Amino acid sequence: MKPAAEAASPTSAEEPRLPSTRARLANALTAWSVVWGLAVGAAIWLAATHEVDELLDDALQSSGELLAVLAPVANTAPAEGGVVPASNGGAVERFAWQVIASDGGILMRSHRAPAAAWHGAPKPGFSDTAEWHVHGRSLGTSGTMLYVAQTRSERREARSDVALGAVLAALAVGLLGHVWLRARLRGEMEPLQTLSRRLEAWDVDAPGALQADALGAAERSELLPVHRAMARATARLASRLANEQAFSAHAAHALRTPLAGIDAQLAVTLRDCPPPWHERVQRAREAAARLQGVVAALLGLFRSGAELNPVEVDVGDLAQRLPAPRLRTTVAEGLRVQADPDLLAAALANLFDNAQRHGAAQVWVEGIDGAGLVVRDDGPGVAHERRAALQAAIDTQRYQGVTGLGLMLADRVARAHGGRLCLPASESGFAVELRL
Amino acid sequence: MRLLLLEDDHILGDALRDYLRAEGHVVDWCKTLAQTRALAGEPYDALLVDWQLPDGSGLEWLRAQRIRGDTTPALMLTARDLLTQRVEGLDSGADDYLVKPFAPEELAARLRAVGRRLAQDGQGLRRLGGVEVDLPARAVRVDGARVELTAREWAVLEALLLRIGRIVPRTDLERLVLGFETELSSNALEVHVSALRRKLGRDLIETVRGLGYRIGGDA
Repeated sequence: MKPAAEAASPTSAEEPRLPSTRARLANALTAWSVVWGLAVGAAIWLAATHEVDELLDDALQSSGELLAVLAPVANTAPAEGGVVPASNGGAVERFAWQVIASDGGILMRSHRAPAAAWHGAPKPGFSDTAEWHVHGRSLGTSGTMLYVAQTRSERREARSDVALGAVLAALAVGLLGHVWLRARLRGEMEPLQTLSRRLEAWDVDAPGALQADALGAAERSELLPVHRAMARATARLASRLANEQAFSAHAAHALRTPLAGIDAQLAVTLRDCPPPWHERVQRAREAAARLQGVVAALLGLFRSGAELNPVEVDVGDLAQRLPAPRLRTTVAEGLRVQADPDLLAAALANLFDNAQRHGAAQVWVEGIDGAGLVVRDDGPGVAHERRAALQAAIDTQRYQGVTGLGLMLADRVARAHGGRLCLPASESGFAVELRL
Repeated sequence: MRLLLLEDDHILGDALRDYLRAEGHVVDWCKTLAQTRALAGEPYDALLVDWQLPDGSGLEWLRAQRIRGDTTPALMLTARDLLTQRVEGLDSGADDYLVKPFAPEELAARLRAVGRRLAQDGQGLRRLGGVEVDLPARAVRVDGARVELTAREWAVLEALLLRIGRIVPRTDLERLVLGFETELSSNALEVHVSALRRKLGRDLIETVRGLGYRIGGDA
């Protein structure tokens, strides 16, 4: 059975596409995470490469200083232009050196150093050649120079390895933080979404809908104002409903006694008047009876409110007692439904009255698989467009100017039972499903 | 039957009084409890009581009557239709409960049912020698032949039959037949009793000298 609130809400096709707070926050978080990751990665890259360069330069300079101390005592050094034998694993050595005489001739070099001098003229300090990053220092005062060097490609590789590792670590932290924050964001938005769902499902006719805690307890302090506002609104609504029901109780007395008086006066008139007047007086009595039925239905509907008292109702027995003086009523044999008998009587009385006023001479009442009743008549029925308009008014509970009192009352009765009114297509006449 | 109608609504009370009189009842119509209390001690066959009256509760008045030992059948005529109110009305001494608006035909039918219960035979049929009285149908036959009675003659016969075997004091019978609104002539009751004896037989209604009248003294 479709809840009233759902039935009354517009369809998804009619809803405007509104931005989602959660999606907007998530998108902002993603964008911020990407920018943060790139910025931090770039900063780390720059810092790491600078620091690695300094570290390598320090290492190169220290190596030069060490060799400068060792070179004078290396009396077993090879002859001029000789090469110091490679150490173990020399193939992977990333360090080379040359001792260059003042005339530019190589006095000594490491096995990996090129046979050509890095600098023909003395060049102290750091300098670059095509493949090497060189640091030179003089050995004594004879113009002999000691050059130590690293290949530039090896320096680039070292810088890249360090910087890439740092950047990847920063990005990983950023990504993990993004995932965690998104999860937290979803969790923090959940109470708001729960509140929205409860508000959407809130039905004023549902049992307990007018209690102060109808939406449940507030899950966040930021939502407390919404709960308080809703509590105030439901309290005001409950007060108005109570006033309406109190009014209906007074109206019951104010209306029932005059109605009884009208009928009794007409009964006396019918007895005493000349025979030619009998038919007119009888019609007046029938109108009074119809008025009584409508008034009783209205009073019953407004008074019942939350006091629904469903019992098993014998529909045939109930239909016999309803005022329908010129209508033949056929009820499916043994038909019983679970309903409030007063409200069901009000609904059926008004549906019968509707049928009669729209030209029907016969109505049939049948069950719908235990889910309620269907009332069909042999009247002229309505066009498809009119039936659709009536159904739309019933679904949205915007009866004003579309449905008459009968359908509105019957729908209110159905909704009071948790059901609704449906107007199925009918090959002939008019049909109303009272789903309870 | 002599009925006490306690109803403050003029339109309804007026119509009910006329309708029930046309049904052959004697109706005393009171619009307030004060008027009703002024009739204390009057004999009635049934009470028709509205709950809400200008000067108090008809139900409370009825409850007080029951406490005083008044067992006259009472019907509540009220707009209060809730189950709890119907239960309260019946528990407070009402024998029947009719929710407004009601058709006067239904009220008349319920009064006929009261009459049958008062007649103590459940059907409202009485056979006294050759006289057969059908109270619900308001029909009398003597040796099988239908006899027509005037409204007042019928009222006298019904009042005595509803108290069959008991002596009905003359003043009570006058009230039961004529009601308190009607000016009584000194011999009006004797005229109606004589007419009944002439139509139904001299022995049907017994005069208990100094006390009143009785039907079915041997019952």
